[in-house]
Amino acid sequence: MSFARALLEALLRDSRLITPQLLLVGAATLMLWPLDGILFQRGEKRKWAPVTLVVLALTGLLMLGVPSGSGFSGMYKVDGLARGFQWISLLSAIATVFLSQRMLDGMEEQTVEYYAMILFALSGMFFLAGATDLVSIYFSLELMAVCIYILAAYLRNQDRSIEAGVKYFLLGAFSSGILLYGLSLLFIAAGGQGTNLSALNQALAMAPKNSDFLVFAGVLMVLVGFGFKVAAVPFHQWSPDAYDGAPTPITAFMATAPKAAAIAAFIRLFGTGLHGVSSDWVPPLSFVAGASMVWGNVAALRQSTMKRMLAYSSIAHVGYMLMGVLSMDVAQGAQVIWLYMGIYLFMNMGAFAVVIHLQGKGEGERIEDFRGLGRRQPVLAFAMMVFLLSLAGIPPLLGFFGKFFLFKLAIEQGYVFLTTLALVTSAISAYYYLMVVNQMYFREAPEGDRPALGTAIAAVVTAACAVTLIGTAFGPWLLEWAGRIGV
Amino acid sequence: MVSMNGVLLISFLLLAVGIAGVLIRRNALVILMCVELMLNAANLNFVAAARHSGTVNGQAFALLVMGFAAAEVAVGLALVVALYRRRDTVSVDKIDLLKG
Repeated sequence: MSFARALLEALLRDSRLITPQLLLVGAATLMLWPLDGILFQRGEKRKWAPVTLVVLALTGLLMLGVPSGSGFSGMYKVDGLARGFQWISLLSAIATVFLSQRMLDGMEEQTVEYYAMILFALSGMFFLAGATDLVSIYFSLELMAVCIYILAAYLRNQDRSIEAGVKYFLLGAFSSGILLYGLSLLFIAAGGQGTNLSALNQALAMAPKNSDFLVFAGVLMVLVGFGFKVAAVPFHQWSPDAYDGAPTPITAFMATAPKAAAIAAFIRLFGTGLHGVSSDWVPPLSFVAGASMVWGNVAALRQSTMKRMLAYSSIAHVGYMLMGVLSMDVAQGAQVIWLYMGIYLFMNMGAFAVVIHLQGKGEGERIEDFRGLGRRQPVLAFAMMVFLLSLAGIPPLLGFFGKFFLFKLAIEQGYVFLTTLALVTSAISAYYYLMVVNQMYFREAPEGDRPALGTAIAAVVTAACAVTLIGTAFGPWLLEWAGRIGV
Repeated sequence: MVSMNGVLLISFLLLAVGIAGVLIRRNALVILMCVELMLNAANLNFVAAARHSGTVNGQAFALLVMGFAAAEVAVGLALVVALYRRRDTVSVDKIDLLKG
C-alpha cells in the first residue's frame, strides 16, 4: 500500500516536468473524440486550425513554467538542451498550421485528424528532446515517427502522397528495428540492468574486455538507426521521395521539427550515454557527416524540383550539424547545433512558405516556376532571396553565423579535414541556391497571373524574414546569448 | 540456464532473416512481417538480459516494444491498404512515381 502511495506521489511530483506534453496529448485526444462531432460539424472542420493554434500557444506558456530537473526515475530531464530544441519544434508546428490552411482548404481536406496528428507528433518531439533513458528515447522517437508517417500519406487520394507515406514508413520501420537491436546489444554489454544513459555510460566503461565487439556492433547499429531518422548519407534514400510526395506544409514540418528533436536525442545519447566509448563512434560518424555534406550538396545540384532540392540541401545541413555532435565538449556542441538548427528553422520555413504560395496555382514545384518572381512580387522575391542566400551561408546573413560557430568549434576540436570539406561543399551549395535567385530576377515571367498572397503565408514569410534580418544584425553576439539562456 | 552467447546467436539469426527479408522480398506486407522479426530479435535480447541479470528492466522494455509493434503494424497496414486501393498493387517495385 505504501509502495503504491509512494509511486503515486512520485508521479504527481514529476508530472510538473511534462505539463506541456500532458496538454498536447490531452488536447489531441479530446479533439479526436468526443469533441470532433460536437463542436464542429462536417464542413466546419477548418475551425480546428485556430483551436490548434490556441493549444500550441498554451503549450508555449506552460513551457515557461516548467522547472528544470530530472524525473520519472531518470527517464526524462528538463534542461537547456531539452528546452531549446522543444522551442524549435513548437515554432515549427505553429508555422506548419499556418502554412497548411491554403492547401487544406483548396483540396477540401480539412479534418480534425490532421491537427491531432501534429499535436501528437509534437508531444513525441518534446519527450524526445528531454529523454535520458534508452526506453524513453526509443518510444518517444517512435511516437514522433508514426505520427509523421500518417501525415506524409495524408492526401490519401493522391498517388504521390500515399507513395511517400509507404516509402517513409517501410524504411522508417526497418531503421527502427536496427536501432532497437543496437540498443539491446548495448543493454546486454552494460550488464542488462539499467537503461539510464548515465548508468549506461558507467557500465560500458567497466564492461569486460570480451564485450568490446558487442559494444562496437551496438554503437554502429544505433548510429545507423539515428542516421535514418535524421536522413544522413548513406541512410538518406527515403528523404527526397518522402519530401517530394508529402503535402508541402508537412514537408516543411518534416524538414525542421523531427530533425531538431532527433538531433537533440543524438547529442544526448552519444554525448552522455556513449561518451566513454567515443572511439567506437567518432570515425563512422565523421564519415557519415562528411558523406552527407558531399552527397547532399552534389545531388542538390541536379534537381529540377524545388522540394527535392530542399530535401537534399537539408541532408547537407544535417551533415554540418553532425560535426557538432562529434565535439567532445558536449555542452558547447549542443549550443552551436541548437543555434544552427534554430537559424535553419526560420530560413527553411520561409523558403517553404514561398514554395507553398506558388503552388496555389499548381506550380512552384519546379525551379523554373520561380521565373520573373522578382518583377511580379518584388517583396516576396526579396524575402526568398534572403532565405536562399542565408541557407547558402553567404556573409553577413544569419546563416553565415550559424555555419561560422559550427566550423569554428569543429576546428578547435581538431576536425580540420571535415571542416575543409564543409567549407568547400558550402561553396558548392551557393550554386544551386543562386540558380533560383537567377530564375527570379533574370528570367522573363511566363504569361498568366500569380495567385494572391494569403494572409497566413504572408505572416510566416514576414516573421521568418524579419527574424533572419534582425538576427543578422546581432549575429556576432548570438553564441553568447545562447549561452546566457542556458542551452 | 542458456548461455548469453547462445541467445545472442539466435537473436542475430532472427535479425539477419529479418534484414534479408526486407532487402529481398518486394511485397510490402512481407516486408512488414520481416520488420516484426527484427523487433522480436531485439526483444529476445532484452528478455534474456533481464533473466541473466535478475532484474525486470529488460522485460519491461520488451513488453513496451510489443505494444509499439502493434501500433506500428496498425499504421503500416492502413498505409498498405490505402496503397492497394489507389494502385492495385502491394509490390514496392511498382511504386516508382517519385524519382530523381
